[in-house]
Amino acid sequence: MAAKGSLPAAAGSVVVPYGHLVGSERWRGSEIARGLQGKTKLIFEDGLGLVDFHLSNRICVLYVSEADLVAGDEFKRRLVRFRNASSLGGIVIVEKTPISEQYFSAVQKLVVLQLGMALLPVANQEEASQLITQLVSSVERLRIVCHSVITCFRKLKRVREQSKDHSSNPFLRKQCSQLAEASVFRTVQQIPGVGKTKALLLLQQFGSIHQICNASVRELELVVGQTVAKQIHAFLGS
Amino acid sequence: CAPTKPPSDEDAALCVLVDSREISSGTDVISALKAVHGLRVQVCSLGSCDYVVSNRMAVERKFQSELLSTVNRSKVTQRIQRLQGMFERVCVIVEKDRSRPGDPWKFLQRTQCYDGMLAALLQAGIRVLFSSCQEESAVLLKELALLEQRKNAAIRVPTEVEGSKQEMLNFYLSIPNVSYVAALNLCHRFGSVRKMVNSSPSDIAAAAQLSLQRAEELFRYLRYGFDAQMLPENISAKGKSDGATKS
Repeated sequence: MAAKGSLPAAAGSVVVPYGHLVGSERWRGSEIARGLQGKTKLIFEDGLGLVDFHLSNRICVLYVSEADLVAGDEFKRRLVRFRNASSLGGIVIVEKTPISEQYFSAVQKLVVLQLGMALLPVANQEEASQLITQLVSSVERLRIVCHSVITCFRKLKRVREQSKDHSSNPFLRKQCSQLAEASVFRTVQQIPGVGKTKALLLLQQFGSIHQICNASVRELELVVGQTVAKQIHAFLGS
Repeated sequence: CAPTKPPSDEDAALCVLVDSREISSGTDVISALKAVHGLRVQVCSLGSCDYVVSNRMAVERKFQSELLSTVNRSKVTQRIQRLQGMFERVCVIVEKDRSRPGDPWKFLQRTQCYDGMLAALLQAGIRVLFSSCQEESAVLLKELALLEQRKNAAIRVPTEVEGSKQEMLNFYLSIPNVSYVAALNLCHRFGSVRKMVNSSPSDIAAAAQLSLQRAEELFRYLRYGFDAQMLPENISAKGKSDGATKS
């Protein structure tokens, strides 16, 4: 679909207004454009080069149709040129149909493993428009997430407890750490001969795993008795 | 504190770790990895993920159907979230559900939840790969392992542990955000627990093939000042080990 000889886009070269999606002029009137109508604000622009849709100032979509796949290697040159010249994050949407399925694994290998870009298969343009809608809303949520992570840290400074973070992308949620006490307690119990009671005694006496590891047999003896002290010392090694 | 064992030979067979649960759900993946691709496959109880293909990459195998409905959503996200805490790189292989032989070409009934999950995964920098069957998933796993090997991240330590090394491994595994492969590296690269505990973050990072940030976290954890007052009561109570204490 991309015009030959056009230049790949650089980051910031296309400004995507908040809540909008910028599509290449060549998609006007297409099934994707119709599918996006009403779900997201699509603006058409000329001269997007190799890019088909800009989701944000930094992320764009390159579309590889069934016809592109069947036609040969032209689309590969296009992807490689984009990757070499553009600083944008590229998501490649590929039409995987009964006809183009045979090319899919080779394309996936090129795009994901060799070029390090993302690839998502769709069956047709209608599915593509649904997918793009989700990608756009995901990009928008990202801004909200960034904001809420900052608020989360502010809260954490004040109260040392799990914060309630309502950000929508679960994978980007900053995991607010649990109290380390429970984990430390569990780790000390992994020392052979040490159960809950001895673990607690050791930690109360020495304060940290590091201190327990550097305690002498004599110091350990005072807390857990001779036999276990030797056992612990042997486990921790020289 | 320096690594006690030099890296093994370059030509050692490529190694992947497989979670024991995959023996039942990924039989063909495992046999293809071994028989077709000649990989060294070590089955162990990874718990957190399905495959580990390098010192820094975890791979989850998910059926398409698991991503289609919102029923599994929180389960899937929690698991992947945990992986992100442990591994530099996380990859998800979306595998087509197994169909009976002779079934006609079936179109995926795509849902908004499915698209939303894919979008969220990509946004979080997780690699997503698609596979049509178990054999193809095996090919992808091999490709990922090869790619990681080229980037000098291949698993090089022995993957089997015996005797006192097993106790050492359990000790390291109990540390938050230490993956199975990181624990293996700690086991084999440090002569003793004491040596490891007294090492600097950069030594830990080099030996266990961790990022400096993760090594610093580990370093701080070992020196964390324990306060018995802060220990949740259900954990400190004697003989009451509950699900929350297990990882």
